[in-house]
Amino acid sequence: MLSFFGRSIVQKIVTLFFVSIISFLIIHLAPGEPSQIDPLNPKFTFEMVERFRKEFHLDKPLHIQYLYFYRDLFTGKTVSWKDNQSVVQKIWDRFLNSLPLFIVGTILTWTISFPIGIRSAIFRGRFFDRSATFFSYLLISIPGFFFAYILIIFVVTRFHVPVIGMETFGLGDTSMLNVIMDRIWHLFLPSVLGATGGIAVLSRYVRSQMLEVEGQDYVRTAKAKGLPSEQVHYKHALRNALLPFVTMFGLILPGLIGGSVIIESIFSWPGMGRMAYEAILARDYPVILTVNFVSAVLVLAGTFISDLLYLLVDPRIRL
Amino acid sequence: MTIRRVLIIAPILVVLILLQSYFWVPTYEQQTRGNPNRLSEFIAGSIGDASLLNPILSMDSASSQIEGMVFEGLVDRDENLRIRSRLAASWEVFEEAFFYINESADIPGLGESDPKRIADFLKEAKEKSHRFIPQLQASLDRIAEISVIPPRRFQVSRYHRTKSREKGEAPITFDVEAPARIQLVLSEVDPDFFQNLIFLFGKDYFDTFQGKKYIHPDFPIGEKELAAFADELLPATEHNPVLVFHLRPDVKFHDGHVFDAGDVKFTYESIMNPGNLSPRVSDYEPVKSVEIIDPLTFRVVYKRLFSPAVISWGMGILPEHLLNREALEKEALRFGKDPETYTMRQSTFNRRPIGCGPFKFREWKSDRHIILDRFYDYWEGAPNYEKFVFRVIPDLLTQEMEFYAGTIDNYGVQPYQVKRLEKDLRFQNFSGLSFGYSYIGYNMRRRPFDDLRVRRALGMAIDVNKIIDYVLYGQGERITGPFVKQTDYYNQGIRPLPYDPQGALSLLAEAGWQRNKNGWLEKNGKKFQFTLITNSGNDLRKAVLAIAQDAWKQIGIDVRTDILEWSVFIRERVNKLDFDAVVLGWQMGIDPDLYQIWHSSQTNPFQLNFVGFHNAEADDLIIRIRQEYDYGRQVAYCRRLHEIIAREQPYTFLYVDKWTAILDRRIVIKKTDGAGNVFYEKIRPTKTGSYTFHFNKWIKLPKEPVFAADG
Repeated sequence: MLSFFGRSIVQKIVTLFFVSIISFLIIHLAPGEPSQIDPLNPKFTFEMVERFRKEFHLDKPLHIQYLYFYRDLFTGKTVSWKDNQSVVQKIWDRFLNSLPLFIVGTILTWTISFPIGIRSAIFRGRFFDRSATFFSYLLISIPGFFFAYILIIFVVTRFHVPVIGMETFGLGDTSMLNVIMDRIWHLFLPSVLGATGGIAVLSRYVRSQMLEVEGQDYVRTAKAKGLPSEQVHYKHALRNALLPFVTMFGLILPGLIGGSVIIESIFSWPGMGRMAYEAILARDYPVILTVNFVSAVLVLAGTFISDLLYLLVDPRIRL
Repeated sequence: MTIRRVLIIAPILVVLILLQSYFWVPTYEQQTRGNPNRLSEFIAGSIGDASLLNPILSMDSASSQIEGMVFEGLVDRDENLRIRSRLAASWEVFEEAFFYINESADIPGLGESDPKRIADFLKEAKEKSHRFIPQLQASLDRIAEISVIPPRRFQVSRYHRTKSREKGEAPITFDVEAPARIQLVLSEVDPDFFQNLIFLFGKDYFDTFQGKKYIHPDFPIGEKELAAFADELLPATEHNPVLVFHLRPDVKFHDGHVFDAGDVKFTYESIMNPGNLSPRVSDYEPVKSVEIIDPLTFRVVYKRLFSPAVISWGMGILPEHLLNREALEKEALRFGKDPETYTMRQSTFNRRPIGCGPFKFREWKSDRHIILDRFYDYWEGAPNYEKFVFRVIPDLLTQEMEFYAGTIDNYGVQPYQVKRLEKDLRFQNFSGLSFGYSYIGYNMRRRPFDDLRVRRALGMAIDVNKIIDYVLYGQGERITGPFVKQTDYYNQGIRPLPYDPQGALSLLAEAGWQRNKNGWLEKNGKKFQFTLITNSGNDLRKAVLAIAQDAWKQIGIDVRTDILEWSVFIRERVNKLDFDAVVLGWQMGIDPDLYQIWHSSQTNPFQLNFVGFHNAEADDLIIRIRQEYDYGRQVAYCRRLHEIIAREQPYTFLYVDKWTAILDRRIVIKKTDGAGNVFYEKIRPTKTGSYTFHFNKWIKLPKEPVFAADG
């Protein structure tokens, strides 16, 4: 057990090191300059461009820049080029904003998909299965932004309530409860929208996994010995169908920091995704690289967790 | 079965909690009409957030918008673009001119040159009448003081480029024996002063001054290099324009601190401080020295003639007491940072600025909103709105929804959105020309673009009016030259190139291009073929690219097109001058300085005259425009320059697009007349198209008033 932890952590650190090099190279080798440097502005003299490059260490060879960047990152000194704010602080603030969306979205996705998928599998080819399939594909194929617009227009014109932002703008002094409810309302559309795509995809997976398992001998045995069908499907079949989802569950962890650019932009949600996207457009390397690094850490942590979950779920796996 | 129940009940519960919150949310109705405070706040929607709220550090439009309300400069431009007073109640512009005594030249009627005698000679000349040389008379009349600076010796160190293989610079020290110098104070800036003095001193007096005789390097250097150093250390003549600002008394910063000349000096020094990395350095590089004469008088001396000097002091003034070395050190210690390396860039001031503008900063939530309150002690009287809110809404459609709902007052509305709302009686809309233009630029270093007839023909083959109608939906106008169209600098007398493909063909025929049997133009057996490029991500430019390609194909030119990612486009093609023709645009300022874009010295790689335009007269005019302080003459030079550029057609000037804006009709200008009666005026854009010019007087009323002067 311990040796597994040790090996796994060493492996992950090595991977992280390579990830850090590759992401650093990709970002620095991509064309473009930080938006502070504007080559087509007549007021920007050559000396000033040089001065900016020097301040940002862009005049140094890449490996030196790499060392500078990770030294700053690990000492917590990285600052955004855009506004000189500490990057870690920025990411933390945005993370807190994105977190409720993530939690609600994840709960919705990972609960509702299972009953839908299982039912589709049980009643394969029947009306429920067909309509579930139809709606899944519909939701998968509708572009998220389009669906979001439709929903916003519908809610705003029908119910005349604000939907964008994290809270109603200019709410003023009201009771705590009002503020909380207002926040919850603003969570509604973006989290449901974020979840719909996930539900559509995940319920398809559940269906196919269940179909595979439902044909197994032990399911027939369970049925034959007269167990209630619920117990057959939700206990005997589902447990065995669950294995691939353990891997997937480990991979939702990086979603914590990824956020959704489109949903966040449309709903003016000041979240992670939007910050990272704007940083990429402005070539704000410290922000991009830090987000990159943190999500790499989360991916590795996610795989580690799913490894552990396997131990729990599948007794055949021994360390 | 518990698992199944949990899986079904949990999401239903979550959704129910989410849904019930609907009953707690205030409707739009409650937020707008039901909220009396809503009338006294102005909410502007913006796509992007500000970066740093410090006028010397940021240049992006969102930050500038807020800075314009929180900070105030010494001057700004009025409705007619003339400079008007703000924190400076008034100012004077005059000049100190210098010249060295040229010992080797004789002055007609004076002979040898003793500084004292030259000074007297000038004084006498000033007394005399020079009716026949009016320009000399005018220049002499401007002389207010004459004094002699005696010869002096000093040492200076410079760096010079070494010839050795490794490219490097070595220090060099000069022993300078400066001859006597005459100092003149002129009542006005006079760029032609020394040209006019030639009538008195003889043609060669200033030209033959041998500066290099008086400087002695400690290390032998080349003759040419020596002359260059001499020009820098002992220039024969020198103009030092002087600006004296008389500041407004009793102006307060938002924290109550009284504004004075120390703050102006501090702002200047902060811009010049290399540690602050201010992007505005270039405006202040020509400043020689600044001086506080008394708390309300500030004097700036320039190294050379620089006509944008006055307007450059429109820069927002920073409060010295909050940002000086001590304040920054204290702040650094509070945050546990190193006080040595702590600069203004790191200061929290940039997140909660304090200036002396009409609005006072209250709150900034990143990517959500910035709130400003009105500043009651504003020197010009507090604005009508109590609150200004800057809301970040990154999506155009949701901006429009919020606008409809009445929770924002203003947003970056697109022309097609205005079309939808034009007829709606609830709204008023504005449009005007913007400050930039689009063009097709030709690389004049390459054949056949070095031929004026070819450039003209290419321009004549494109139907620009069609582009404006179909690509811009009519939201644009033709432009014929490089100045902002609504300023006086723009020469309205110049006609745009006509759309005339036949005329284009005959011009090309003159230049030797004939159609071959396949219909392509050919000269000496070579097909007329080139590549037109632009950057990706701009649909308008892409459309122009396609239209131009098609138009040129119709007269038999084989045009290839290429669309490149912005940074590749700039770095690999434009900066390296590796292109035939480009579709691009310029954003202009009001100031007519065109040096970087059109002067022939700026044609090297990485410079902005990438088309390689050079014209001796244009060069001369560009320099004169930079140096001319007289508005009328500057306008005349600009119009002439416009004419030359329009004639030479280094660009095919296409169009300037229009901005659009939309506001609730109930937002009006509220003024009070002498007797204290309140009256209302409609909002009208100024000549330059700034509809927010009177923003401090705006207010939103419960319903649209009857205007006194409407009709």
